[in-house]
Amino acid sequence: MTGALDIVTAVLLVAGGLFCVVGGIGLHRFSEFYQRTHAASVTDTAGAGLMLVGLMFQGGISMVTLKLVLVLAFLLFSSPAIAHALVKAAHGHGLALELEIPDNPEKNGEPGRDGDAAG
Amino acid sequence: MRLGVLALLAAVWLSLSGPYTVHEWLIFAFGVVSVAFVWRLYLALDRAAGGDSEFFRASSWLRLPRFLVAFALKVAAANLHTTKLILAPKIELHPRLRRVPASQKTSFGQVLYANFITLTPGTITLDLRDDELLVYALDAESEADVMDGSMDRDVLRLEGGSD
Repeated sequence: MTGALDIVTAVLLVAGGLFCVVGGIGLHRFSEFYQRTHAASVTDTAGAGLMLVGLMFQGGISMVTLKLVLVLAFLLFSSPAIAHALVKAAHGHGLALELEIPDNPEKNGEPGRDGDAAG
Repeated sequence: MRLGVLALLAAVWLSLSGPYTVHEWLIFAFGVVSVAFVWRLYLALDRAAGGDSEFFRASSWLRLPRFLVAFALKVAAANLHTTKLILAPKIELHPRLRRVPASQKTSFGQVLYANFITLTPGTITLDLRDDELLVYALDAESEADVMDGSMDRDVLRLEGGSD
């Protein structure tokens, strides 16, 4: 019983670690700021998520698991907010997006710029 | 509902610090002050958002498990796809921008939808304005995940506005 839980934990921890490494590799291999934020979100979601779930199996139904659930919940609220703040700031200050598809909706209305104070 | 948030904050603080601190008056006082502070912050933010926090109805909590399952599956699939893109021998990206309607009624629902898109690797929300999201996607497959509207429906279902 305990052995099976340990194996589940080990598999989830290693899988989470692998996704963290993949996120790091992506951060390095992707060429541009906006693309790199996608690689970072692999680390945020799959990496941290699998590791925390893996640790929950060690905690069982306990206070520790409740705290791990809260850590995961806070992470899932804060990491998209941070990612959004980063790309919106970059976009608002005019860091160009390298777009393959030329259909650029920014032509009408310049989203992200009007109404936003610089800074 | 505001009292519900207060109760939730108090419950979180108590569960994290352990019930024994009730007897340690200084720690307990810190807890009361921090709960009161965060609740005050919540009230101010709620007012700034137009007070539409009725998203948190009891029925929303009942629908939460189903949403979390759908959320986990979509995030997992997107992670695998982005991992494939990262580890491909040659990096091949076809980035594009798209405007996506956010049909949720409450601003909380729209923000939840925007965060959902940002959390799925391969797509990120650049802007939210006039019930429309500006979404940046890495390639056609990531884009299709958003454009098929299934995430939008997941959040709508959680919001409970569709039925």
